[in-house]
Amino acid sequence: MSAIVADRLTKRFGDFAAVDGVSFEVPDGQLVAVLGPNGAGKTTTLEMLEGFLAPTSGTARVLGVNPHRGDRRWRARIGLVLQSTSLDAELSIRDTLTVFAGLYPAPRPVGEVLELVDLADDAETRVGALSGGQRRRVDVAIGIIGRPEVLFLDEPTTGLDPEARRRAWTAVENLATTGTTVVLTTHYIDEADHLASRLILLAAGQIVADTTPERLRSQGGPATIRYCFSGDAPVGDLPATLAPYVDHDRHALVVRTEETTGPLRDLLSWADRHHLDLPGLEVGPPSLEDAYLAAIGEPVTPEGTPR
Amino acid sequence: MNITARAVTPRMPSAGRLLAAQIGYQARLLASGRAITIGVGLPVILLIASHGTHTQTGAAGLAGYAAFGLTLTAWNTYGVRLVAAREAGVLKRWRAAPLPRWCYFLGRIIATVVVAVAAGAATVAAGVLLYHSHLTASGALGALGVFVLGAFAWTACATSLTAVIPTLEAASPILMLTYFPVIIISGIFGSISEPHWLSTIASYLPAQPLAHAVAAALGHTAGHALLPARDLVVLAVWTVAGLAGAVATFRWEPHRPAQRRPARAPRPASPSGPGAQPASTGGDIEPPATLADATPGLKGHPKGHPERR
Repeated sequence: MSAIVADRLTKRFGDFAAVDGVSFEVPDGQLVAVLGPNGAGKTTTLEMLEGFLAPTSGTARVLGVNPHRGDRRWRARIGLVLQSTSLDAELSIRDTLTVFAGLYPAPRPVGEVLELVDLADDAETRVGALSGGQRRRVDVAIGIIGRPEVLFLDEPTTGLDPEARRRAWTAVENLATTGTTVVLTTHYIDEADHLASRLILLAAGQIVADTTPERLRSQGGPATIRYCFSGDAPVGDLPATLAPYVDHDRHALVVRTEETTGPLRDLLSWADRHHLDLPGLEVGPPSLEDAYLAAIGEPVTPEGTPR
Repeated sequence: MNITARAVTPRMPSAGRLLAAQIGYQARLLASGRAITIGVGLPVILLIASHGTHTQTGAAGLAGYAAFGLTLTAWNTYGVRLVAAREAGVLKRWRAAPLPRWCYFLGRIIATVVVAVAAGAATVAAGVLLYHSHLTASGALGALGVFVLGAFAWTACATSLTAVIPTLEAASPILMLTYFPVIIISGIFGSISEPHWLSTIASYLPAQPLAHAVAAALGHTAGHALLPARDLVVLAVWTVAGLAGAVATFRWEPHRPAQRRPARAPRPASPSGPGAQPASTGGDIEPPATLADATPGLKGHPKGHPERR
């Protein structure tokens, strides 16, 4: 059974289609990342699945229920971490979690949730006195306290420092091992890569790819050959196939290519002719970020001549 | 797996339990904030300051200050906090929780009513203790009843007013501008010489009937009706109207300017754009395969991207 089914979901605000015919299914227990630039429609899609917005057309089903008509019992099976909400500042983390735990039929023990989000040491701190990263983890704690079957995380780590992001990731990974279906939006490609087994890429309100990090990486972009010349290298004598790729400012060769053997052969024979070693030569795999940027709409010509 | 394991889930918590918990929670929030001290403290300070200069610390004067403390809490403190909670996204978070909306609201309103009634009662207590104002047991009970009704009327109306308050910055000015004129023409700080028509209007607004009914209760003598029925009817009508307005117009989400997609270059159907190859300016090196070519399960091709097939 699919925990989530979106069928041609569309949301228009006036003549502006924030989400335009988005269809996908998420099986039970999968961790999906919805990626896209700001304004791609990620949050609008999520808000339709969470029941905040009614779609203009198309249908959504979450745990078999139309989210816009989801009742209290349904809400208790869903966990949410919204993009920007906040909590009453006056009470401690523990008191706040206790109040939210009371809303669910079978909540996780507050102490266990505090451990999961790594806030056990700050449990008695007032919510208003927390750092941004800590507050975000309280959001996550509230999202998971009711043992949700489906968890929506809308940019859970935006604005966090690298360490806080790692901690938030650990919390999400811990959940994924319990069989929770997770839908995560992010505009960090590394976050999606780290956490998700599936990527849905949105741009301008439409799905431009529904893939896996591995597939995106292997098929989405060119490899990079990079070499910094030593000071006296005879750069002028490079073969004509490589000469256009010299970055004179950096005194370096940067070749992005689908096919690495040709340029490498040319480079090695040039080094051989001049009795040079090539310390620091790099041949990098296709970058997930490049693939992502290509997928979300940096145009590429049909003939294949990039400008 | 997860879903089958939940086949024997315990029952949802009852609405009564949720409401009681919400009242307790909201009361704790109010009590831990400094905002309530103004509703309790200011009328008592005014009562003390005016004693001696004012001729009356009788029932009408005391009722006026008590009504002032009550309405300050039920209108200003409550209204500003409600707008602040909405704009910060607190309300949106609660709306997403498995709690009936009415439970959240009633919890919030009842907690405020309790604090507002306490503010009114504190003023009366100060009058009795400091200036030996007259108070009978039936008068105290009557005043308590009027306080409760008045606090409901003012919180209900404030809830409906928040729908037209766009931002937190606008909350105080709008709440004050709708508050002080009503308080003053209602004679809360002592009767003022005003045209008859203005007094008539005031008698249909929720402040003057509140103060008048409290004064009647405080100055109650045997043989007379404890509370003026007309005042109670006016307060009850405002309560119902306020709640109806709130149900019809209330917003849970922060006010946001209309969100537009960030300006992006239109996607041309013809070749253009920087692509992901800044160093490639020609030559025989192949461009990246487009993702759509390489991606099974691709759905929803964007318009304007026919080349991605």
